[in-house]
Amino acid sequence: MRNPWAETGNYKTSYRQDTAIFATYLEMLSLWALVALLLVLPFFLKRPQVFVLDLILVYSLAVLGLNITTGYAGLINIGQAAFVGVGAYTAALLAPSLPFWLTVPIGGLAGAVAGGIVGIPSLRIKHLYLAIATLAFQIIFEWTVGHSTILKQGGAIAMPRVEFLGYKVGYKNHYYFWYYVILLVVVLLAFAFRNLLRTRYGRALVAVRDNDRAADAMGMHPGLTKIFAFALGGFYAGVAGALYAYLSRAVVIEDYMLPVSIKFLAMAIVGGLGSIVGSFLGPAFLVLLDLNMEDLANWLKSLGLSYAGVDIASAMRPLTFGLVIVLFLIFEPRGLANWWRLVRNFFRNWPFKY
Amino acid sequence: MRRLGVLILLALSFGFAQKVHLMWSGAITGPTSDAGKYYAQGVEDYCKYANEEGLTGGLTIVCETRDDQYNNANTQRNFEEALERGDPAFLGYSTGGTLQLKPLIQEVGMTYIPASYHIGNIDPPNNDYVFLPIVSYSEQVIALLEYIAKEKPGAKVALAVHPSPFGRAPVPDAKKAAKELGIEIVEVQEMAKGLDYTATLKRFANKGVEYIVYQNVAGPVATMIKDAKRLGLNIKHAAAHYAGGPDLLRLAGDAAEGVIWVTSYYMPYEDAPGAELVKKLGKRYNRPADTLESVHYPSGMLAAAIAIEAIKRAHAAGKPVTGDAGRAAVYAEMLKLGFDPGLAVGPVTYTKDDHVGVDHMRVLEAKGGKFVPITEPFQSKLFRKVHYGK
Repeated sequence: MRNPWAETGNYKTSYRQDTAIFATYLEMLSLWALVALLLVLPFFLKRPQVFVLDLILVYSLAVLGLNITTGYAGLINIGQAAFVGVGAYTAALLAPSLPFWLTVPIGGLAGAVAGGIVGIPSLRIKHLYLAIATLAFQIIFEWTVGHSTILKQGGAIAMPRVEFLGYKVGYKNHYYFWYYVILLVVVLLAFAFRNLLRTRYGRALVAVRDNDRAADAMGMHPGLTKIFAFALGGFYAGVAGALYAYLSRAVVIEDYMLPVSIKFLAMAIVGGLGSIVGSFLGPAFLVLLDLNMEDLANWLKSLGLSYAGVDIASAMRPLTFGLVIVLFLIFEPRGLANWWRLVRNFFRNWPFKY
Repeated sequence: MRRLGVLILLALSFGFAQKVHLMWSGAITGPTSDAGKYYAQGVEDYCKYANEEGLTGGLTIVCETRDDQYNNANTQRNFEEALERGDPAFLGYSTGGTLQLKPLIQEVGMTYIPASYHIGNIDPPNNDYVFLPIVSYSEQVIALLEYIAKEKPGAKVALAVHPSPFGRAPVPDAKKAAKELGIEIVEVQEMAKGLDYTATLKRFANKGVEYIVYQNVAGPVATMIKDAKRLGLNIKHAAAHYAGGPDLLRLAGDAAEGVIWVTSYYMPYEDAPGAELVKKLGKRYNRPADTLESVHYPSGMLAAAIAIEAIKRAHAAGKPVTGDAGRAAVYAEMLKLGFDPGLAVGPVTYTKDDHVGVDHMRVLEAKGGKFVPITEPFQSKLFRKVHYGK
């Protein structure tokens, strides 16, 4: 009998094993170890650093939503920031009268409704045409917010300070409190999606992406599946938006505009489209890359590296962002998730190379 | 020997001078960086100058300019870092970033001086700690309407505003002011990225528009002005602070001739102490000609000068200038600040109820490729009435 702790390859003998969330005990253990590490990590970090962690987690949730729509269901979406914005504005409007543990899921539901509506064109159009439809939603969202007095025409809607079980969240504990809330939500929603992928609804997403006519012939409903993908992706985005609203203490339109949608798409590509792990690796990589490039740029600036008014140091950050995306598209279109897969396989087979 | 001792003492005292950090966070790259990069240089250079010339009351002010790329999350992170370090004040930039940070600014009590002159920055709620260096966009636009009403009573005006809180903020006040002034605002047009404004301008012309007032950035204004010239329309153009200036001249060329512009800053070619300071610092720190020409360079200098003056006064009063107590001390000084760094057309004054530093502005007109003042420094007569109802 094989030892489940010392498994070094794939020995699946049943369909049940094939659809297990964790392929091996070691995989399960390493994931729980990571969660444990994430639980204690804020104790070793300063407030601004915890804010960066919060950002990575919120972006991960938004990118996971994008991955559901674009990565798993193959429906190009370049309006993800608008879905995030729907959640954020919903939370901002409800926050004065409802507790955060209600406004966050309601924000997600609002995102899901928006996703479902935006998904309707996917019944008739696909590829670039669908991308333009999602772009239209992004523009409509920005225009609507900009002309709604209830939404302060895109100006700030301040979020109230949160109290939870008599615990008042002030500026000193703000990022720590929200870190744990966001971490809990992220873990739950990531597991929920991982679980969904084992069901027929999850498999239908992939089937429709690969060939919607074949999926139709096999008894799936491609139209409903596409709308479901948009609604689910919108739900994740809406939850991310509601959480971001609390995290940033105010909702301002600039956080939900087209450049942010492009950023989410870049994170999904760098992380790896159609991968849950990639949804975390992409945001983490790009956020940390930007921070490091900022330090490098400041160092270069201190050396006075500037010629004829061209500030080389300042140009480095946007240049690196663009360069990284291009390099990933050329050399590793499967994103960081593929590197993660290679590393995992190496250790799974180690020390036996077969 | 005694002289050597004094020199050593001086060197030691400089070496041991208390360091106070002051951070600016704004767009050196990304949207609006055409203004932000010069603003950052202004902050950096004034800071160096203040340290070198002993304008810091024995403190060493360590200024740090951070590129937030016009991204509110980056601004928030930078602000948190400044707060964590114990900085007593913060120099901000964008409208969105400032509006978003207001609840946190209020909670921690940090003096905040933005480059955005949006009236919402100093309007309630959470407005105690935000201070505008010069008059707000709303006041600038109303001042332009007052000027137009004088020049052409009963004029028909169109507002061309940026599609953002930055652009829209002055519109309600401008409408009220126009009513008081007896001029007609026939249309409010949002514009930002158009490549051709022929249709818009033809519509304006059909409605009899005589003036277009811009609350925008220079790029789209230049496009519209050039289109108006190409179409041969007899429409005058009037720009608020960020819509005009040398940037507009550079972008619009000959078409900018006759454009009127309102700002509180001196031009570098004027005979004024502030203009001399701009030239002096630009030369001292090897800034290129475009920096010296930009109105955003003295803007950054003014913001830094205000913060440094408040820190210096708090220190002179024997109060701490870092940490929680430092923030409170600098804020207390801001509320009674009154000084004239010479960079703008009036002194910087703040009180508990007045969070606008320089209360005066001038109207300038583009003549021969330069903006030249056509009014003396003045305050808007109507702004307080239409905005505050008093």
